[in-house]
Amino acid sequence: MYNTMRESQQFKQINAILRDPLLALALLLMIIFVVTAVLLPLIAMIGESASERGQPLFVRYLTDPVYQTIIINTLVLGVLVGVVGTAVGFLFAFVQVRLNVPFKRLIHIIALIPIISPPFAVAASVIVLFGRSGTVTRGIFGVRYDIYGLHGLVLVMTLSFFTIAYLNLRGMMQALDPALDEAATNLGAGKWRIFRTVTLPMLLPGIASSFLLLFIEAIADLSNPLVMAGNYEVLATRIYVTIIGLYDTTGAAVLSVILLVPSLLVFIVQRYWISRISVVSVTGKPSGTPQTIDYPLVRWGLYALVIFICGLIVLVYGMMVHGAFTRVPGVRWDLTLANFDFIINGLGGQAMRDTTTLSLLATPIAGLIGMIIAYIVIRKEFFGGNLLDFGAMLGIAVPGTIIGIGYILAFNNPITLGDFVLIPKLTGGQGVFGGALAIVLVFIVRSAPAALRTGASALSQIDPSIEEASISLRADSARTFRRITLPLIRPAFLAGLIYAFARSMTTISAIIFITTPQTKIMTQQILNEVENGRYGNAFAYCVLLTGLVLIAIGIMYVLVGAQTGAERRIEGGR
Amino acid sequence: MNKMLSFTALVFALIALLIAIPASAQGQTLTVLCTPQEDWCVAMTAAFQAETGITTNYVRLSSGESLARLRAAQDNPEFSVWWGGPADAFIAAAAEGLIEPYESPNAAAIPEIYRDADNFWAGVYVGALGFCSNVQVLEELGLEPPTSWDDLLAPELQGNVAMAHPATSGTAFTAFWTIVTLRADALEAETPGAGYDENGAPTQAAIDAAFEYYAALNNNILQYTRSGSAPGTLAGQGEVAVSIIFSHDCTKLQEEGFEGILVTTFPEEGTGYEIGGMAIVANGPEPEAARAWFDWALTAEAQNIGPTVNSLQLPTNPEATVSPLSVDLSQINVVNYNFQAAGANRRTISERFDAEIATAPQ
Repeated sequence: MYNTMRESQQFKQINAILRDPLLALALLLMIIFVVTAVLLPLIAMIGESASERGQPLFVRYLTDPVYQTIIINTLVLGVLVGVVGTAVGFLFAFVQVRLNVPFKRLIHIIALIPIISPPFAVAASVIVLFGRSGTVTRGIFGVRYDIYGLHGLVLVMTLSFFTIAYLNLRGMMQALDPALDEAATNLGAGKWRIFRTVTLPMLLPGIASSFLLLFIEAIADLSNPLVMAGNYEVLATRIYVTIIGLYDTTGAAVLSVILLVPSLLVFIVQRYWISRISVVSVTGKPSGTPQTIDYPLVRWGLYALVIFICGLIVLVYGMMVHGAFTRVPGVRWDLTLANFDFIINGLGGQAMRDTTTLSLLATPIAGLIGMIIAYIVIRKEFFGGNLLDFGAMLGIAVPGTIIGIGYILAFNNPITLGDFVLIPKLTGGQGVFGGALAIVLVFIVRSAPAALRTGASALSQIDPSIEEASISLRADSARTFRRITLPLIRPAFLAGLIYAFARSMTTISAIIFITTPQTKIMTQQILNEVENGRYGNAFAYCVLLTGLVLIAIGIMYVLVGAQTGAERRIEGGR
Repeated sequence: MNKMLSFTALVFALIALLIAIPASAQGQTLTVLCTPQEDWCVAMTAAFQAETGITTNYVRLSSGESLARLRAAQDNPEFSVWWGGPADAFIAAAAEGLIEPYESPNAAAIPEIYRDADNFWAGVYVGALGFCSNVQVLEELGLEPPTSWDDLLAPELQGNVAMAHPATSGTAFTAFWTIVTLRADALEAETPGAGYDENGAPTQAAIDAAFEYYAALNNNILQYTRSGSAPGTLAGQGEVAVSIIFSHDCTKLQEEGFEGILVTTFPEEGTGYEIGGMAIVANGPEPEAARAWFDWALTAEAQNIGPTVNSLQLPTNPEATVSPLSVDLSQINVVNYNFQAAGANRRTISERFDAEIATAPQ
């Protein structure tokens, strides 16, 4: 009975879509986007790995003890970053929501810095500060501390990624109903018991999903292991050398599939299982403000820990800014503008222009794609909507290096149907627009998921009856979307744009294989400088990149408007 | 909704700008694949552009990366001319049909030992491999700067030596082939014919012996970097004690902030050297501009640019000025480096090194 009702419901939805040509067109465009820009490269990569030359490589990589070690290394790193990053994120969220302590707004801002951080900035700073001849380890404590390897990676990745866990858990903690705490208190439970038996179980889905998201980020990360892995080899760096040094696309495709399996499994578990068992929303809106913890030892102990970590973040990014103006960071501290001079008179000027232009092109498209897919999935529930959502989300669930290899394999030659060119050659210097189109596509693929998620969460909080009223008044769906939906989700749209832009500007692993002589990308240039140990130049690039991102965010605020305190409304989920 | 409109307008203006940028950059262009250090690439392309009016663009890639990249785009080359990096890579590229011969009118000025007999490539500089060490770190470890390849195997140096990955870096490949040559000499001294085959190329036994050396050295390596000169900076920053790099790259670092920190030494039993090559990419775009670059880069004037950015390789053009800071090849023991054999074995050695050494646990 229920099933037939559902089916007829879906049938009605499909009918509605078909009767609305604009909606049908939008849907078609979204399907084309997901299929060509996301699925095709993945299929090309999986196809290459399953080729005759690829099959024996699977056997070799999976049975060779050397490669088994690399696979285990990758997973161990993912688990450790997941645990430590979630713990740090939890600590920050707890202090933010449950402690009455000074400078909370400042702590919040410091915790957000890593979102716009250029790649390599943290790793390079940490080496200058805490490396074997580090300014802190060596200069202050006089020890020759060996930062290279697993523990160093866990440190830099935790600093780079914990913000994901923090924002996730903070939202959940704010949504917890304080009435539950009060009930437990009235029943005579102490604070610790409440924390253990009420708060923690309620947050368990959030903790689990933070862990899994961090796990995905950590095993996908290329930039940090490139700089400070030492002899701790992981799959991402192995894939990189296989392409860059040997141009063995088949070997890289096989390694990519091996990396893809845990990433996708974890993503599916996170997205379709953990996030569904959330118990927080059952009680609806919180009824009152969260109780604060007053025990001085707990309060100031946790606060001190948070301040310590904030200090570390400030130190690391302070090093980045300071290093940009020094001759040889860590060795010669003379102040100079030579680094900026070198960059701007070298390739930096073009790199800044190219990267910003391509990111600005990708940002609104990614924002719109995210919002349209969110609208289709949330408002026009029909069979296939979830598939579309899943397809778009793959853009971020799949490690960046894999997207890059997929693009080389799928688009290095024109895709033809008989004599008709369906898709011209996109990658390489002879590709469309000197390969720039492929880079823009990758930017969109990597950043649309963030816009999609912010859009979806905003839409699900807006009563559909407002839109229905517009439709009843004979506005078509495009007009409704433009005049009703979009203004209502404007804060989400803005947040989506900001994420999309910051992500495009700072992405490295996905575009590292598809940059061309004609397009200079800043993150690629930073990689060159870091790889050669010219940290002064690298930091100068990082400063310029951060500056560009901040300026663009400012302009987006002005243009799209944030008078409503957009970011607070989205982050808080209220 | 005015803001949405102005936002859309801005986006379209930017798209128009993007399309306008390539349109405004009409005229003759050149894309150089540049293997030496970044600042030398900047200085060279700027000077060439000023001289010829050809808009010159470059991408810096290490030798192995360059080879890989040229292979990848063989059907549709992205680059027109490839400048710099050890000649072994050019010999490998010629064998694979990635570069094409060009008989430059200026090549006659270059001594024959620095040129390919078939004109596939011509030498633009020469440099010798050395050890670039951090004196402070060595002092703490109680070691003297190394003067022999075997000194690098000292247990005190565990995790304190850096070199690049031979698959990506020509420097590291030169280091590998130097050991092959030394092992071939030793084998030949024991039993004639054991070290070199009838064509004068080192035997497989010599190559295997070199792999044994690098397997032992692997215990002391911190990490294999992508580019050949990077280990020098690691040493300068005190992250490692010793790096295996070209001596001119060490001198460059000493000139640029690491004076008194880094010291250059050479292995007494013999060190390898490179002839920095240059070639026209086969079927590359902009062939005329590529030839103009080729001719120009062989002139004394172009070869005098290096020292201005502290790139102190020896020029191949006898008319060019030799900086007093450059290495004097007559003062050091240089092995009899067989470039042809090195080029022929480059790919198999790179792949084997990657599979057996670089990934091996320490």
